Parts: sequence; C-alpha cells; structure tokens
Amino acid sequence: MISAVRSAGAVVWSRGLARHSWTVGVWLLLSVLLVWYATLIPVFGQFQVTSISKNSLPLVYLAIGQAIIVIAGGIDLSLGGLLLLSNALAARFMEDQPFAMVLLVALLLIAGLALLNALVGYVISISGVPDIVVTLATGYIWSGIALWVLPSPGGGTAPEFRWLFTGAESGIGGTYVMPILMMLVPALVVFFLSRQTRIGLAIYAIGSDDTAARLAGLDVRRAKMASYAIGGALAALAGLATVALTGTGDPRFSVGANATLNSVAAVVLGGIALVGGTGLVLGAVAAGVILIMLNPILSAMGIDPNNAQIIQGLLIAGVMMVGGLVTLLRERSA
Amino acid sequence: MKKQSKRFTIVALLLTAVLALSACVGVAPADGGMATDDSMEEEGGYVVGVSNTLVGNGWREQMICAIKAEATASGLVDSVIVVNRNGGPTEQIADLEGLISQGVDAIILNPTDREGLNAVIEAAIAQGIVVVAVDQAVTAEGAYVATNDQTAYAQLGAEWLFEQLGGAGKVVEMRGIDGVPADTDRHNGFMAALENYPDIEVVASTFTGWDPSTGAQQALDLITTQEIDGIWTSGIDYPVVEQFQVADVDYVPIVGADNNGFVEQLINLAGDGLVGAAVTNPPAIGAVGMSIALDALTGNNPPHETILTPKVFTTADVDGLTGIYAPDEQVGWSTYVDIEPYTHYNGSADVSACAAPGE
Repeated sequence: MISAVRSAGAVVWSRGLARHSWTVGVWLLLSVLLVWYATLIPVFGQFQVTSISKNSLPLVYLAIGQAIIVIAGGIDLSLGGLLLLSNALAARFMEDQPFAMVLLVALLLIAGLALLNALVGYVISISGVPDIVVTLATGYIWSGIALWVLPSPGGGTAPEFRWLFTGAESGIGGTYVMPILMMLVPALVVFFLSRQTRIGLAIYAIGSDDTAARLAGLDVRRAKMASYAIGGALAALAGLATVALTGTGDPRFSVGANATLNSVAAVVLGGIALVGGTGLVLGAVAAGVILIMLNPILSAMGIDPNNAQIIQGLLIAGVMMVGGLVTLLRERSA
Repeated sequence: MKKQSKRFTIVALLLTAVLALSACVGVAPADGGMATDDSMEEEGGYVVGVSNTLVGNGWREQMICAIKAEATASGLVDSVIVVNRNGGPTEQIADLEGLISQGVDAIILNPTDREGLNAVIEAAIAQGIVVVAVDQAVTAEGAYVATNDQTAYAQLGAEWLFEQLGGAGKVVEMRGIDGVPADTDRHNGFMAALENYPDIEVVASTFTGWDPSTGAQQALDLITTQEIDGIWTSGIDYPVVEQFQVADVDYVPIVGADNNGFVEQLINLAGDGLVGAAVTNPPAIGAVGMSIALDALTGNNPPHETILTPKVFTTADVDGLTGIYAPDEQVGWSTYVDIEPYTHYNGSADVSACAAPGE
C-alpha cells in the first residue's frame, strides 16, 4: 500500500521534474549564453543588459501567448499578424497624444485583441476547422488591416510610453529595471494563471486530452477561448513593445511572419510540446531571450552573417534532439 | 529519489554537451576578434561595423562588398563586422546596439527608417563612434550621410531622352516600387524634366517592382501594341532592350542604370541602332561611406552630408562606356564602382572579390 502510493507519487514527481528540468535547463542555457556573451565583448554592463532585455520584449510576449495556445492543444499562426495590427493601430493613434491617452489606447488594444482572438478561438471550437488553417487565414486578415491602418512606416508614441518598455524616453540608454519588469510581470501573471487557477488547469487539461477533459465536465470551449484571448492580449503587448522600441509603426508583412515563426521556435525551444498539455510558460520566456541573443553572439564571434541563420536553425534542431533523447531515455528507464 | 537525480544529471550533461558543441563553432573567429583590441590606440587598426537589413539583394550585396574592398584598400581597418539580416527598425536597433557593444570605432548603416534609429545612432555618437548612413538618409544629430541623388538620377536621364527625341514624342516611364522613397524621388525628378518639354507625351507609366521579368513582360506588351519613341527605366534596362530583339522591333532611345548587361548592350548594339544612356546609381556609395568614416576617424572633418550626383554614360561616348564595362561580372553588376576622390580600390575586380581586411 505504502509502496504503491510512493511509486504513484514518484511518477507524478518524475513527470513534474522532467517538465521542470527542461525549463531549468533553458534558463541555465540563457545564463551560460549571457556569461559567454559578456566574455566576447569588451564591456558588459547596464547598456548590454538593457539592450538584450528590451529587444527581447516583443518575442517574449509573443512566445508567452503562443505557449498558452500550444499548451491548450492549439497553435496560432496569426500572432504575428496581431502584432502588426497592434503596432499599426498604436503608432497611428498614439502619435502626438498625451501619456494618459496613450495608456488608454494601449489598454484598449490589449482588451480588444484579446476579445478578437477569443472570437477566433470560438470559431475554431465550433467549426472544427484545425487551428492552423483558421489562424493562417486570420493572420493574413490582421496583416492586411494593419497595412490599411498604416500604409507605410510612420506614426509615433509618447516618450513616457517608450520609457515604460525601454527605461528611457528616447528608447535607448535607460536602466534595465523597466524592461526586465515589463518582461517578468506579464510572464509571471500568465504563469500563475496557467498553474494556479481553474481556467489554467482547464487549459492544460484540454491540451492533454480534450475528450477526457469534456467527459470530466470541463468547459472545453471556454478554456480554448481563454487560451486564445491570452494569446491575443500578449500579441497586442508585443505590438505595443515594438512601437515603444522604435518610436514608430512598421506594418510590413515580413515583420509579422518572422515574429510568428520565432514565437513557435521559442515555444518549442522552451520545452512546450506542440501536441499540447505539457510545458511551462516560463521556458518560452527564456527561449525567447535566447533567440534574440543569438544574433549579437554570433556577430561577436565573427561568424559570417549568412551562416548565422544556419547555426540558429542547427541549435534549435540540436536542442530538440537532445530533448527527444531525454524523453526516450526516460521512457526506457520507466 | 536516486533515479530522478540520475535523470536530472543526464539532462544537465546533454545541455552542457550542446553548449560545448556550439562553443566549438565559435572558437576560431572569437580569437580573431580578440586580437583587434590592442592595436586600436593609434591611428589605423579600426574596427568598422556594417548594418544592412535587406539580404539577398544584388545591389545591397555589392554595397557591402564595396565597403569591405575600401576597408582593405585603405590599410587603416583591422576588421569589418557585417550584421546582415532581413528586418525593420526593431531588428536594426538591436543590431546597432550589438555593434556598439562590440566596441566598434565606426558604423556604416543602410537605414530602414529616417527617424526611428536616431536615438541609437546618437547613443553611438555619444560613445565616440563615427556613424555614417549610406544610400538613405537619417536625421540623427552628428551622423554622416552619403546618398545617391535619386531626383537627379531621373531628371538627368529623362532630360537626355527628351533632348534625344528633339523635344517631342511619346515616351514610357517604367518606375520601380510604388511608395518606396527612391521611387518617389525619381518620379519627382522625371516630372521636373517633363515640365520643360511640353511636347513630350507620357503614353504609359508602369511599376516594374525592380523585377527583371516583370519589366521585360511590360516592355514587350508596350512595344508590340503601341507606338513609342523612347523609354525611361528606373533601372530595369537590359531586359527591356532584349524585348526589342525578341519582338524584332526597331530600337528606340532608352535610359537605364549602370547595370553591366545594359552597358554591354549599349556598346555592342550601337551598330544595330541602339541609342541609350546609363545613369549611375552606385552601390559603391557604401565605399564612399567607409571613406568618410575613415576621414572622420583620422580627424579630417569630412562634411556631414555627401550627395553624389549621378553620371550619365551615353552611346555617344563609347570610351566612357567601355571604361566602366566589367566583362567578368554578371548582367546585374553595377559597373560604376570607382568614385573619386572617395574610393581607393581598383575597379570591379576588387569589389567583386568582396574581401575585408584579413579575409
């Protein structure tokens, strides 16, 4: 009896450990990369930490949003499109406005895109059309509307709003307090939401097995919509961060397409299986920062920029294969 | 408990292995990069960063090669760090911050935005880094700007064409991409030239997207369906000339850029009645930027704004055309590479070698 309980407990523990070990591993990888980067360049100080943390913000937000949707068993290829839409609307309506108005626009955008994406989750849920198809289509729609709102790069925002994300009203040269806060607060909020609340557990449950979740009496549709709403809100935040970083809007389609691909890469690298139901949001956060850091690191190593992308791809593939190997070993020993 | 810690060790070991593996990749170049730090004290031995955000574009690649070639020819540069990826202001700000972190002495960039990069450029300048924006301008305080005059590019070519037609006739304007600043500037230049020639009629205006096959198709449609006396192109030139051969139509005067293929046609087909003008839009503006950066670093106080007026090479001046023709290069190669007094390398061969110091 006791041993049975213990072994059941051990299974739960080892599963938990396996998940967390990946998250811990990604954060370890990030710390090692930071130390390594510090040795590659002549000076490593506030400027560099600020630079990395603020430049990571858009991808980290998008990765958190993608993570929640993937954990719920979906995938959202429209996050980049939503980023563009948020970016274009923000740059258009924040230009020459006082800070209070700018904040209002920001909050409206976060709420608006959360609702919009919840609607997409609803459509996916009732139509039965795969997530990848619906969000591919909506991604094009959002990108198109973004171009319509802001036909060419332009627009602006309030200096205080730039300070909020970058720690400096000009967008550069500030302290790292603000960008790190702006990274950690949404990350922790979504993390606790996903681990400690009823809806968060429902998101994990439907991603793991939605039939079982339905039979267990969970509202699958509600959890699906919640995951898409969180994704939409974070994509809006990513668009806002982009405006804060550059001080202008940039509605080009390629920006959104790249952002979507990078968000999926960050989720995978962050240890969140694309089949859903596993992984921690925090892993995607570290993975997002790692992906942003690769560029300056490879450049500081003197690697030909044309080879940098290959190495970036190999690194993701390598980490994934290590992950697969670990899973395999675990299954064998179990 | 034991089993779990064993698994944890496996994960940790594997991650370490990945790290070690990726570390190996970088060992050799990292050493090369370190060596530059010591020699920076006196004149020369500079480290120059280059930021470009359009990859796989022939003109931009030649621009980067021209920067490297000029760095090598100057003898003052230790290494050139190129950060090259597709992106917008967000990516370029990150790239510029990366170059600042690497402690470069100068940065040459082809900017994605006129104003969006100003803060990071000014931060670089505040740290004593010389910043030169090439091809497109930035408004940052203290930055050097070196551009090709796009308005004059169109105006000079169009004026040559209208003169060639005796001030009267039907012409086609083959533009680039709608909304791109260079295209807008060129269109303004074209219209400015047109104002002085009331008897010139623009019978068609197309957007080639600066794409050879698109431009070729448009040209074929135009010359086979309409009566045309002259064609002005925004750089899609040799494909247009080829359509005259395809359709077996008599040549009309044509204006293009300093593309190698077009220059070759102007030389070889002059006997068949081809009359044309190649107007320069040199990617060697990158080398001009390098030259300006070195002038600034060595205390020669170059002017903050340098605008290159395009040169016009016509079929009336065969020597001029053969002077810039580069027989070893591709049709899309921009032949006008030696820009006095800025460049010190030796012609297309040096630029084509694309070798930075130590490469």
